[in-house]
Amino acid sequence: MNKKQKYVIVAALALIAIALVVWVANGGEILSKDGVWIEQPLSDLDKALGQQPKLDFTEQFILGLFPHTAVFVSAVVFVSAILFFILKTKKIQEPK
Amino acid sequence: MKKILKTFIVVLVSVTISFAQGFKVKASGEKTFNFEDKYGRNQLTFFSTTPLEDITGVSNSIKGKVTFNVADIKTLKGSISMPVASLKTGIDLRDEHMRSENWMDAENYPDIIFLIKSVSNVITEADNKISAKLTGDFTTHGVTKEIVVPITLTYLDESEQTKKRAPGDLLGVQASFNITLSDYDIDNMVIGQKMADDIEIRVNIVGSSAM
Repeated sequence: MNKKQKYVIVAALALIAIALVVWVANGGEILSKDGVWIEQPLSDLDKALGQQPKLDFTEQFILGLFPHTAVFVSAVVFVSAILFFILKTKKIQEPK
Repeated sequence: MKKILKTFIVVLVSVTISFAQGFKVKASGEKTFNFEDKYGRNQLTFFSTTPLEDITGVSNSIKGKVTFNVADIKTLKGSISMPVASLKTGIDLRDEHMRSENWMDAENYPDIIFLIKSVSNVITEADNKISAKLTGDFTTHGVTKEIVVPITLTYLDESEQTKKRAPGDLLGVQASFNITLSDYDIDNMVIGQKMADDIEIRVNIVGSSAM
């Protein structure tokens, strides 16, 4: 492994680590979501009627492991594998 | 003899009334409450928890009527239903799977229905608030099972405040119970065990006596 290949591996690992950190920071959901359920505040009348907070769907992208994080990590692995192959030291055959 | 019979009937009626548990509100007699709300403010929520994913779903299309004597909640009869197609989980593709033939089969079994059969364990929490257990037939996916649902009922006489929501007296119903999908021939394996077999259901609905 030459120096350039080492850089490729370090960069790939760093990108994968960042992707995983961002995924965990987004709640570590398995599947990406387009929205979240938010509890709505109760009116005085609803409270008097013994009601519990109702849920309302609010559009908000939540990064999940699948497909977004997994696709990004796969792309990083694929590109770095190609670079790793391209950047390998070519052996020059010495004339006999 | 007539006097004794009369006294017996009076005592019997008094005992029956004193043992009847109901709301101590201005309203009296038999009342019917309709839970259909054109503004979609009534809500049924379900929760599924699996190691892979937590799923929340809601329906705001609750229908149904209940009738009871205000002074005796044990007279409560009626049914509550909800179209399967109205269930939303926040992911359109998953909603489609849920309605499909392989799962809830909304085309052949369009409604989830709870038919109230009896009321037990009545506890008066306040003059207008009662908790009890409803025994009834829960039907989904073409399968009917008897279940017991703990509920809390809150009665509000018509007032300027209640008129803002709907005309007539209002009845708030809050219930929480669990069902096992496999009991209703709903196979969670079909969707890769993303849905738990044991589903928690919460009901938050308000009915009006004037609708």
